[in-house]
Amino acid sequence: MWDLLTWIDASPMAEEIRISLWLFPTLEIAHVAAIAVVLGSIARVDLRLAGLVSRDRAISDVSHEMLPWTWAGFVLATIFGVLLFVGQPMRYVEVAFFDAKIILILLAGLNMLVFEYVTRRGIGRWDRAATPPIQVRLAGGLSLAFWISVVICGRFIGFV
Amino acid sequence: MLQELSDWLTQTPLNVVFSDTTRLETWLIIPISQTIHILGVAIVMTAVGMLNLQLLGVRVTKPSFADLSARWMPWIWSTMVVLFITGAVQTIAEPTRELMNNTFRIKIVMLLIAVAITVVYRAQVKKDAKYWERSGERRALAYALASISLVLWLGIVAAGRLIAYVGAIDEF
Repeated sequence: MWDLLTWIDASPMAEEIRISLWLFPTLEIAHVAAIAVVLGSIARVDLRLAGLVSRDRAISDVSHEMLPWTWAGFVLATIFGVLLFVGQPMRYVEVAFFDAKIILILLAGLNMLVFEYVTRRGIGRWDRAATPPIQVRLAGGLSLAFWISVVICGRFIGFV
Repeated sequence: MLQELSDWLTQTPLNVVFSDTTRLETWLIIPISQTIHILGVAIVMTAVGMLNLQLLGVRVTKPSFADLSARWMPWIWSTMVVLFITGAVQTIAEPTRELMNNTFRIKIVMLLIAVAITVVYRAQVKKDAKYWERSGERRALAYALASISLVLWLGIVAAGRLIAYVGAIDEF
């Protein structure tokens, strides 16, 4: 694992990201913009699942409209995030907030998988419900909590 | 003028509290304020972004532009209040970093224009739900405003991050 990080750290790409004046800030901006899209879109879905907004609209409609953006934003945020990481791999793995952020992203993903393959099976019954069943509300609430925590950890990386 | 404001803020009690890094409770103020600021940006940028895309003919959601703006404007405005408050906290904590920085000033100018465009959207649509669709000129104007707004919001995000890197005005 450490060998891999050392190899990354010594790569020309890592060197370029470190010495270039504009590359790191540009990657940061792109990362923030992508995160904004992820959070803004998933927030709508999660708040609808929680029965708090757009209660007159079908859950499937809100999801179909927002999730493509969430996925696109997530892919971009990950690409830019990996490039940011590549610049100083050894430093980031030692920061607790970075490790926590990765774990929280995985937990958010797990929550989404559980919702997609288990909870969602009953969607015919509650798609139009203003107040969905408890497991659906929980999925939405957890998802929002995870993603907000990801943003918190991400920002705090820069402060330690 | 901004130099005087910055100097004055530096010796206010709030500034002393917000910028105190010796205690954990006060050290947390700036990072937490910035985090809330980022979350607010996510909400506003995507809400205005979807309205802009709708005006550009990209049918992001089923509801019409009029319906969408009616649903989301309250969220946009209340989030902007939060953004202003967190922005104010950060400025009071580090007045020179913000006020004596060209990147920050450009960001505020872009923000004012972007907000003005959003106000125009809503004002017209309140009077006439299909205002932006009634004629070729209206659609062209909507197209232009939406394009400008999208670029501005991206610029605002970029400027926000770049304040840390560039634009500081040196005073001798």
